[in-house]
Amino acid sequence: MFLHKLNPSIKALTVIVAVIGLALIFDPITPLLFSIWTIVFTFLFGKVNIKYYLLFLLPFMIISLGMLWTTIAFSDAPEHPAQTIHLLLWEIPEEDIVAALSLVFRMFAFATLSLLFIFTTDMVHFILSLMQQCKLPPKLAYGVLAGYRFLPLMKDEFNQIQEAHQVRGVKRTKKVRESIKQYRRFMIPLLAGAIRKAERTAVAMESKGFTGEKDRNFYRRFTVKSIDWIFLIVTLTALIAIAYVSNVLGYFSWYNGQF
Amino acid sequence: MGLHNWKLKEIVVMSVLSVVFAVVYLAFLPVGKLLAGLFGPIGYDLIFGIWFIVSIVAAYIIRKKGAAFLSETIAATVEMLLGNAMGPILILTGIIQGLGAEAAFAVTRYKSYNLAVLMLAGVGAAVFSFVWGYFRSGYAVFGTGYILSMLVVRMISGALISGVLGKAISDALAKTGVLTGFALGKEQRRKKAA
Repeated sequence: MFLHKLNPSIKALTVIVAVIGLALIFDPITPLLFSIWTIVFTFLFGKVNIKYYLLFLLPFMIISLGMLWTTIAFSDAPEHPAQTIHLLLWEIPEEDIVAALSLVFRMFAFATLSLLFIFTTDMVHFILSLMQQCKLPPKLAYGVLAGYRFLPLMKDEFNQIQEAHQVRGVKRTKKVRESIKQYRRFMIPLLAGAIRKAERTAVAMESKGFTGEKDRNFYRRFTVKSIDWIFLIVTLTALIAIAYVSNVLGYFSWYNGQF
Repeated sequence: MGLHNWKLKEIVVMSVLSVVFAVVYLAFLPVGKLLAGLFGPIGYDLIFGIWFIVSIVAAYIIRKKGAAFLSETIAATVEMLLGNAMGPILILTGIIQGLGAEAAFAVTRYKSYNLAVLMLAGVGAAVFSFVWGYFRSGYAVFGTGYILSMLVVRMISGALISGVLGKAISDALAKTGVLTGFALGKEQRRKKAA
């Protein structure tokens, strides 16, 4: 699929620029329309499992609700207290509602942009591309890749430690306090094991001739093609067009902390 | 970033710490969300120190210029790739929080790593992250009193969770003897010998 084949660095750049653009705007309509655009784009041009997608979006829904009520409850005194909206039993100043919705939809737009990136990008490809396109030092890039490779190993080690503890009589528990204590018992051996492994890996890398020099060749090459730039331009054009629509509808406003 | 005076093993160990704490960061996200759902955005600030902890641990163990900054940046990047829905913007967040912690060590010219400096690093990260959050998440919609209390709570959380707890974890690790090849392990051996 098209989104999966884009250069990961340019994809990340596009998302970051779009997020900064959205952060400068503070109205409810622009981010709402832009989220819809992003979701449609993700499903049209990417192979994304809709169940997982919704699962990732769910926490944002929950925090949005938290945001919504606190914004209404704790916001500054409105400038036009006369304009109010009836919501169930309460009478709430219109300004507060608009501010709260702006905040919530903005977070929603950030989330959809991020999911577009996460669901279509391979971690290893992203690091390799950062090294080849963004001058990330190879020492750091391969160090991180080695560290990332440890994750599944650590999961095994975690199970091992847990079993070892149980053999020695540590009981399973459902109490919060007890399980915090148990996590403390896991954390140190787990970290110690990881550090030992990391040290050995570093020695192995050096003994096989890894110097960390920038002048090196790559097995997997990543390049920037014109399609990557087209993606960047299309996304930003969409953002500007949506901001224009919002302006026509009379909602658009810049973010300058005025609320 | 003066990576030239870093040993490869220090870089790999820092990366591993970052990856481990990226998982911890991700695991605490639902906790933060739950607290934020209950108390509003200030719920996050109660445990915000958790998200700076790798800076303090890495800097305290390795004691090289850039350790606090790099480890936090890597942790944020890995956290994003593991599935934090904040996406690439999280890298920027990590960079800013890392700079906040790094600033505290830079002020002491990377010479002192006592508890006070580590707590200061936690506070530094808290302040930097708060300024960033102010613009990114639009805290300006809240009243001044609420904003100030958010900041204070986050600073305390940074000092206690990342400063005190970060030091405790590192010291416990040094006791196991795996850090003999690193600055913290060497310091502890010298102390024992004395």
